[in-house]
Amino acid sequence: MLWPGLTDPVHDSQRLFRQILQAMSEPGTLHNLDLDAPPEVAPIGAALWGALLTLCDLDTRVWIARELDTPALREALSFHTGCRLADDPASADFAVVTPTTLHTEIAFATGSDEYPDRSTTLLVSLDSLNDQGPWQISGPGIPERRWLDVGDGEALMGCLARNHTQFPRGLDALLACDARLTAIPRSSRIEKCLKEDRSCMSQ
Amino acid sequence: MYVAVKGGEQAIANAHQLLGDRRRGDRELAELSVEQIQEQLRLAVDRVMSEASLFDPELAALALKQASGDTIEAVFLLRAYRTTLPRLAVSEPVDTSAMRIERRISATYKDIPGGQILGPTYDYTHRLLDFMQLAEGEIPTPARAEQALESCPQILELLNAEGLIEREADDGSEPYDITRDPPDYPVDRAARLQMLARGDEGYLLSLAYSTQRGYGRNHPFAGEIRIGQVEVEIFVEEFGERICIGEIPVSECQMINQFGGSREVAPQFTRGYGLSFGHNERKTMAMALVDRALRAEELGEPVNSPAQQAEFVLAHADSVEASGFVSHLKLPHYVDFQSELELLRRLRRAHAASQKAASDEEVI
Amino acid sequence: MNGYNFAYLDEQTKRMIRRALLKAVAIPGYQVPFGGREMPMPYGWGTGGMQLTASILGSDDVLKVIDQGADDTTNAVSIRAFFQRVAGVETTTATTSASVIQTRHRIPEAALSHGQILVFQVPIPEPLRFIEPSEQETRLMHALEEYGVMHVKLYEDIARYGHIATTYAYPVKVDDRYVMDPSPIPKFDNPKLHMNEALMLFGAGREKRLYAIPPYTRVESLDFEDHPFEIQAWDECCALCGSETSYLDEVITDDAGNRMFVCSDTDYCMTRRGEVA
Repeated sequence: MLWPGLTDPVHDSQRLFRQILQAMSEPGTLHNLDLDAPPEVAPIGAALWGALLTLCDLDTRVWIARELDTPALREALSFHTGCRLADDPASADFAVVTPTTLHTEIAFATGSDEYPDRSTTLLVSLDSLNDQGPWQISGPGIPERRWLDVGDGEALMGCLARNHTQFPRGLDALLACDARLTAIPRSSRIEKCLKEDRSCMSQ
Repeated sequence: MYVAVKGGEQAIANAHQLLGDRRRGDRELAELSVEQIQEQLRLAVDRVMSEASLFDPELAALALKQASGDTIEAVFLLRAYRTTLPRLAVSEPVDTSAMRIERRISATYKDIPGGQILGPTYDYTHRLLDFMQLAEGEIPTPARAEQALESCPQILELLNAEGLIEREADDGSEPYDITRDPPDYPVDRAARLQMLARGDEGYLLSLAYSTQRGYGRNHPFAGEIRIGQVEVEIFVEEFGERICIGEIPVSECQMINQFGGSREVAPQFTRGYGLSFGHNERKTMAMALVDRALRAEELGEPVNSPAQQAEFVLAHADSVEASGFVSHLKLPHYVDFQSELELLRRLRRAHAASQKAASDEEVI
Repeated sequence: MNGYNFAYLDEQTKRMIRRALLKAVAIPGYQVPFGGREMPMPYGWGTGGMQLTASILGSDDVLKVIDQGADDTTNAVSIRAFFQRVAGVETTTATTSASVIQTRHRIPEAALSHGQILVFQVPIPEPLRFIEPSEQETRLMHALEEYGVMHVKLYEDIARYGHIATTYAYPVKVDDRYVMDPSPIPKFDNPKLHMNEALMLFGAGREKRLYAIPPYTRVESLDFEDHPFEIQAWDECCALCGSETSYLDEVITDDAGNRMFVCSDTDYCMTRRGEVA
């Protein structure tokens, strides 16, 4: 089965971008991306596929984690966006990963102090995503705090929490499960709250 | 839908109408055609194409017509049009050694292989107004060689063969593209030359002149100036080879400059380079002088003159940027001006109060 | 408009700007370099703001354009007409009805709400530029968070005039990290940057930089303990609507130098007059 492109590339990508922009500027808020989903056997869901279609083109390098890497995904990406696939994660503008990928340390680009923008954006495929959960985030874009449940989150949140120690260098992440998407940029502060006492442990 | 505005839209429409009227001028006189501008104001057309970074003599002539002859406005029109064009292919580097030469001179040798060709130049005209041109008369067809010269060796290559001048070779790397990526200072020479190539001629001329007067002097000799047609080629995947898509006229200037050298490298001359679309000799000479001045740091020379300061020179060379930002002062700024007024009045009140307090103290 | 894409820019340029915008909101206050394109308007006349607007605008957006707080200033009229022509979007003068507001030199008086986007036109994005003209140097200063020179400059004002003599484009610090130029808005508008519900995007076309302040972000105006930041105040109130809390423009009414003060935000003023009537 073929992977679907955007029905109306100009207006669909505008609409999806605005949702992604809102997700990135208000970390932890959930957004449902409305587009044709990739085939059921695909390793990623509609929201991440929508983000790739919206953001990637000839000028973009994409790195795909081994557990998500299929010939069908590669072909669909090249066909619909023309993006280049990166072998070296440090050269990637976008990296398509799962929380499992992050169990091993991977040298993505975190930018430099002069050019912190020259960094990889993670596109994380999740098994579950909810706005009630143990992970508390705060910072720009968040009135006080928001909570997230991202399933198996220790490695993922550990990786994103390290941003705080090297800001302004760091990784920004779009996290998605099926059509649902949220974002955690490097500016977010992440803590884990234990259910029993709601006290938070800084990551 | 209705938009509540108070005359702004009408005022703008009226201004445009008046502009069109002034552009046309006296309706008793024949309207200037784009073809006439293209044929008879060639140097203006060439300058507009160079600074707009788009080779299209017809549209450059149209831009000049639409801009009532205002070069900077015409450059802006053509540049804004250029931005909307899709990029269909990337050409191979043009080979100026294979130029079909119309003009070629060297100031460094009395005679050169292939000869010195004056070509169409204002150089030795006496600058006396030619009142004959007030009357309309046909110009006699010039005497000219049967055909243009075939390719001539580059003078600097003769020096190169002897090792007297620094070598410049294509390392095959993809050059930075200033039309797509923002300048990231310090920029490399490829990016600098692109920025100079679209830089304002008057600005480069003045900077080049300043180096001759001692602000970053680099002892230039006009090694070779050549003007003529070069072939533009693109590589076509399907054919597996280059094909020529046409010819364009270009001007090229290679300056030979002050020599450098070190314990490791024997002394040799250095270079400055200028290239532009069409017949644009003054621009390419100025560009070559400024290019050489901007190489000061690379060549281990002190950087202490304006023409040697890359960020200063390059960030202010573009006439479209410069004219836009200077002219934006015409836009309303009354909110910020009100801010300044409010502060100034407050400072003056405080000043008057302290003066009064001081004089009261004296009285006591 | 025939021959041009929706909202003028081609899709590849929009994507390039969109990717840069995501980095901008992820690093609040940091100036992201972007491959700015020529627009069919002069540099310095809002080409940066226009490129951002063109990259975010959709057919269901409602656009408001203001210059000096007013919808009817010539450049606001011109930019609004441009987007009507190339994107066919609905436009409005009502701050509360707009989903996207492009502005030069003001933040509207009416509080912005969640979901709105305010796009600022920026002439010189670098707050340190008038202290250090070299881009290489200022980039390093931001990297090292080395902002001492800015405080020195403000303090020299105090020593000389008894006040900080910056009245517009007054520097701010975003989320306690980047010093940022809020564009030449009067410092009167600076407090509105703090914890605003709207997303604020800044575009500098000629300088090829864009930056952002996400909603609910801490933004402080630089000051000193003994010289706290303060905003402009007028003895007068608006001659048209009587507002005592809005930013006022001084209008000279005759040769004798008589003057009146009126709201710079025309929509705010009209709305108040409508309510009173």
